[in-house]
Amino acid sequence: MSRPILDIEKIAIAFGGLKAVQDFTLRLPTGGLYGLIGPNGAGKTTVFNLLTGVYTPQAGTIAVDGTRVEGTRPHEIAAQGLSRTFQNIRLFGLLSVVDNVMLGCHVRGRHGLAGTILHSPRHVAQERAMRRRAMELLSLFDLASAAGEQAKNLSYGDQRRVEICRALATEPKVLLLDEPAAGMNPQEKKELQALIRSLRDRFGVSILLIEHDMGVVMDICERITVLDYGETIAEGTPTEIQRNPKVIEAYLGTEAA
Amino acid sequence: MSPVSKLDEQAALVMPDRGRAALNALVTGLACIAAALLVHFVVGSMVGPFVTRIMLDAGVMIILAVSLNIVNGFTGQFSIGHAGFMAVGAYVAAGITYYSSLALFGSYQAQTGLISVGSLIFAASALVGGLAAAGAGWVVGLPSLRLRGDYLAIVTLGFGEIVRVLLQQSNPQLFSWDETRAASLKELVPPPLGGAQGFQSIPTYTSLFWVALFVAITLVFCFRLKRSSEGRAMLSIREDEIAAQAMGVNITNLKVRAFMFASFFAGVGGALYAHQLGTALRPTDAGFARSFEILIAVVLGGLGSISGAALAAVLLTVASALMIELGPWRMVLYALALILIMIFRPGGLFGVKEAWEVFGGLWRRKAVAR
Ligand SMILES: Nc1ncnc2c1ncn2[C@@H]1O[C@H](COP(=O)(O)OP(=O)(O)OP(=O)(O)O)[C@@H](O)[C@H]1O
Ligand SMILES: [Mg+2]
Repeated sequence: MSRPILDIEKIAIAFGGLKAVQDFTLRLPTGGLYGLIGPNGAGKTTVFNLLTGVYTPQAGTIAVDGTRVEGTRPHEIAAQGLSRTFQNIRLFGLLSVVDNVMLGCHVRGRHGLAGTILHSPRHVAQERAMRRRAMELLSLFDLASAAGEQAKNLSYGDQRRVEICRALATEPKVLLLDEPAAGMNPQEKKELQALIRSLRDRFGVSILLIEHDMGVVMDICERITVLDYGETIAEGTPTEIQRNPKVIEAYLGTEAA
Repeated sequence: MSPVSKLDEQAALVMPDRGRAALNALVTGLACIAAALLVHFVVGSMVGPFVTRIMLDAGVMIILAVSLNIVNGFTGQFSIGHAGFMAVGAYVAAGITYYSSLALFGSYQAQTGLISVGSLIFAASALVGGLAAAGAGWVVGLPSLRLRGDYLAIVTLGFGEIVRVLLQQSNPQLFSWDETRAASLKELVPPPLGGAQGFQSIPTYTSLFWVALFVAITLVFCFRLKRSSEGRAMLSIREDEIAAQAMGVNITNLKVRAFMFASFFAGVGGALYAHQLGTALRPTDAGFARSFEILIAVVLGGLGSISGAALAAVLLTVASALMIELGPWRMVLYALALILIMIFRPGGLFGVKEAWEVFGGLWRRKAVAR
């Protein structure tokens, strides 16, 4: 088997006495679309925060395309090709939609003070290219008409999609989506499903997806990892996961509580 | 070899040729100089000394407010020590022009004429003053990596106070070149910048031309910064640090850069202030009162809005010139104004937008309504 694009080996973190994530291991192959599920508070978002450097893992290793990234700063991890969206949308609310997406291009640009202030040819070309790329991405998501709006004025569903655009603008190798379907209606969810699948084919990006909507997860993910109280309780194909008694118990347990 | 990024690929397609870019830079530079000449000779000849004075003050205030906006408006940090950087630039530049005038011309009198050896030394000293202030900005910017909000405000406030105390400890001013040459090491270290008595007889090189020119340069710098990738990255820090980092923005680096840019222009503004007719620099120039005035201009204009900060700087300068008799009561009015802004228009006049974006939007909305 070829080297996984994202290789997570036994990462862990505890907040005080609370073991939020323990011994989390996952290998995402290039072009893979994997899911991460679990009841509320299971530690899913914390895994994303560990991967993107918001928190530093207290144990374990993370490699993006063969480069170790654990312990490095968030912007360096983004430059290595890991990008994400946030469960509680974090757009730059006062900036326009197109500026939000252009900001995603920042990490792939080269920036010099003289070029910026004197408008060197390279700087001008780069600005144009960023705008073009941002508009391309927005068109792909049917958001081109909203390009000039302040991001905070968009509907919830549109904001989620702008966040995906912004993440894609960083030219990631791996895209981490934290509950992208949350707050969407069934029609929007259906469209989102198709879109996520097409992302992988169009951008060659590998995807790790957190999602509460089982319909969405079971439909698009090739393999699924299940977390409960910070521990991995199951890993397998959607069919295997659906039949796994531990998973059923974890979910029923929380529903009963 | 790293794969070619999509961005690089597209940039290669739209690269303008070098000639055009050089022409653009040249035209921009000439336009700044032309505007400054226009203000100096045409506007300057139409107004009396009172209005000229207000224009000079307003220009310096524009430079200070627009530069503070880089830190407080773009990156969303909260500096209340801008006058400290201004004082660094003012004292450094004044020290250079005053003592070099004594050495070269045997007098502190400014040379006449718009362009003279003296005025070129002055222009250079303003840049050196700016660089010295930027160096101080680097030092103050470093702790801002870890500190936020109120804590950073206290650090910047403390910086202004440190500058004030250091200036008080400087040696008495020397009043002739002979005296300066004969001075012992003890009289030169710390530098003879007048101590608590203040630094006087600074050659009066600040004219409408130089003020207008540096205002133009500051505005071009800030507008181009705001509309660039670096500028967007600064604004993204203000909007959401976590998201900015996750998208690859090196927030520590940009925060320090913002501090250095802002303090550079504050230093230049300080140099212009120092060389105005009738200025005697005092250590208290580094203190909180002036920082507060600059801060109000930025908040009134709208954090992030360059045109807002510039407009507010002009409004405040004119208002304070008209209220000169009020003396210390001015500060009370300022504080009151700040409170009223915070209550009724917390985003300032224009928010993060520029004047034309705000008015352009209104116009368009009306057009649609019709
Ligand atoms: N910075 C922190 N400090 C202390 N506890 C934290 C911190 N971040 C997360 N936790 C705790 O870690 C646990 C896992 O949280 P996490 O947000 O990862 O859950 P989740 O699986 O994403 O849940 P949800 O489905 O509700 O989004 C929770 O108990 C949470 O309270
Ligand atoms: Mg979560």
